[in-house]
Amino acid sequence: MQPIVFMTGYYGSGKTEIVLELAIRDQYDMVIDLDIINPYFRSREAHRALAEAHIQLISSDHDQPTYADMPYVSGRMYAPFLETGVKAIYDLGGNDLGAKLLRQFEMFDQEIELLLVVNLFRPETSDTEKIIQLIHAIEGSSGRKVTGLINNTNLLKETTAEDILAGQVVLREVSHRMKLPIRFTVVERHVPVEGIAWDGDLLRLQLRLRKSWY
Amino acid sequence: MAKVLMKGNEAIALAALKGGIDAFFGYPITPQNEIPEYLSKHLLAAGKVFVQAESEVAAINMVYGAAGAGARVMTSSSSPGIALKQEGISYIAGAELPCVIVSVMRGGPGLGGIQPSQADYYQATRGGGNGDYQLIVYAPETIQETIDTLKESFDIADYYRNPVLILVDGLIGQMMESVDFDKPIRKRFIPEKDYATTGTDHHPGRNIVNSHYLNPDELEQHNLHLQKKYQQIKNNETKFEMINMEQPDYVIVAYGTMSRIARSAIEMLEEQGIHVGMIRPITLWPYPRAAFDQIPKSCKGILCAEMSMGQMLDDVLISDRGRHDVAFFGRVGGIVPEPEEIVDAILHFQERVVK
Repeated sequence: MQPIVFMTGYYGSGKTEIVLELAIRDQYDMVIDLDIINPYFRSREAHRALAEAHIQLISSDHDQPTYADMPYVSGRMYAPFLETGVKAIYDLGGNDLGAKLLRQFEMFDQEIELLLVVNLFRPETSDTEKIIQLIHAIEGSSGRKVTGLINNTNLLKETTAEDILAGQVVLREVSHRMKLPIRFTVVERHVPVEGIAWDGDLLRLQLRLRKSWY
Repeated sequence: MAKVLMKGNEAIALAALKGGIDAFFGYPITPQNEIPEYLSKHLLAAGKVFVQAESEVAAINMVYGAAGAGARVMTSSSSPGIALKQEGISYIAGAELPCVIVSVMRGGPGLGGIQPSQADYYQATRGGGNGDYQLIVYAPETIQETIDTLKESFDIADYYRNPVLILVDGLIGQMMESVDFDKPIRKRFIPEKDYATTGTDHHPGRNIVNSHYLNPDELEQHNLHLQKKYQQIKNNETKFEMINMEQPDYVIVAYGTMSRIARSAIEMLEEQGIHVGMIRPITLWPYPRAAFDQIPKSCKGILCAEMSMGQMLDDVLISDRGRHDVAFFGRVGGIVPEPEEIVDAILHFQERVVK
C-alpha cells in the first residue's frame, strides 16, 4: 500500500466510516475530508475521535465547524504530497462527481492508492457490470486508475457473514476482470468472523457517525 | 427486489417511481437534493417528466398545471423552499387537485441552517397559504415507513383530490437504512379524473381548473364542500401508533426522528422502573385526537417532545383537554437530542409543565 490513500465509491457505500476506522487502526498521520457533496455524515464530524488518536484532520472548515455544504476545500489538502513520509487518507465525496476532485492533484507524480468501496446492497453497485461501470466513470472523472477494491457489503444491523461472502464472490469477479486486488474486507464488530476466509485485510468496523438510537 | 441499503432522500425518489409518478418539478435546496438528483436520472430514463424549474414558485405552479391535466405529480423541497411554495399549495388545494409534496425540514426561521429540524409543524398543519384549506400530512419515523407512505400517497391524493405532504427532517433524508420497496400497499378505488384538462376529445365540454369564485354564495358553498371532504379525511385517514400504553406513569408524544429517540429513552426509563408510554402521530393532519382519550386518569402527565419550540404542543393541549399535566421538551437549530435528555425531562417532569 502507498502511504497516500484516496477512498472513493458510490455514495452511501461506507467510505467515511472506513476512512475513520482505517486511520485510527493503522495510525495514519492525516485524514483529509474532501466531501463537498454531502451535508451530513462527513469525516469532519468525527474530529474528537481523530484528535484522540492524534490524527490531524483537514477539511473545508478552517478552524471551527461551519456546518455548511460549500463547494470549497482547504489548500492544506496538498500537505501529504509536499512533505515526505506522511501517511494520509483522503475521504472523497461519492461517485464520479466526488472523485473529480482528484484533478486538483494532477501536478503531483507520486503513486497513490485509489480504493473503491463497494456495498452490494447499494442498488447502483449490485452486480459486476454496474461496479465496472462505476470504476470507469471514476477513472474518467478523476484521471487516476483505481488501484484496489474494498468489500463493504452490509445491511447495517441486519448484516450476516453470508451477505459479506456473497459480496466477496462478486468482487472476485470484478477483481479478476479489472486486474485489481481486493485490499480489505470490512466486517462490523457484531458479525462473527471465525473460520471464514476473507479476501485481503480484515477491517473490523465500529460505526462512529451513527447514533445508538437508529 | 429484496432488501437494499438506501439513503432516505434516494428512497423517497424511488418510492415515488414505484407510486406511479408521472412528473416532478423542483428546485435544489439542502438537505433534499438527492431527491431531484435521483429523479432527474430515473424519470427521464423511464420516459417521464423531470423539470428543474427556475424557482420554487415556478415549480409549484408547474405542479398545479400538470395536476390539472391529470398527471401524478410531485415536488420536494426544504423549509424555506416550502415557504415559497405556499401560495401555489393553497391554489392547488382550492382547485381540489391531487399532488404529493415532500418537505425535508432544516433549521429555521429564515434561511436558518442545513441541519435537521422539525420546526415546520405549523407550516405543514396550519399552512402558510391563504384560506380554509388542509393538507393531508404524514410524518413517518423510518425510511421504510417513508417509502410505504409515499407509495400510497399518490392514491390518497387522487382519491380525495387533495395535496398530500410528507414531512420528514433532514436526518431521515440523509441517513441510511436497509429497506424493502415491495411491501404491498392498500388498494384503493381511484375515481376517473373527469376534471382533468385533457382536451374535449376526452370529455364533453370544457374542463376548467380554477380556485376563483367571485360570487360569495358560490365561494361559501365551495368552502362547505371542502370542509365536508376534510371531515371525511379525518374519519378515514387519521393514523397513529400507541406504544407501551398499559398503565403508563407518563406518556411521551413525539413524531418522526423524535419518536425514535423517545423509543430509546422509554427503554432506559423502564430500567429505572418508570413505565412510559408513547403516542406517535403518523398523520399530523388529521391529528390523532382520539388517541388521547386512551390515556388513563392515573397517568402523571404528558411530555410533548419536538425538534421545535412547542408547535405540536398546541395539538397536544387541544387533544388532552386539560385532563393531565402537559410538559414540553424541545431542541432546535439543527440539534438532534440524545435519549438521555428525554430521560432527564421525564425525571424532572414537574419543572417542565406548561402553565
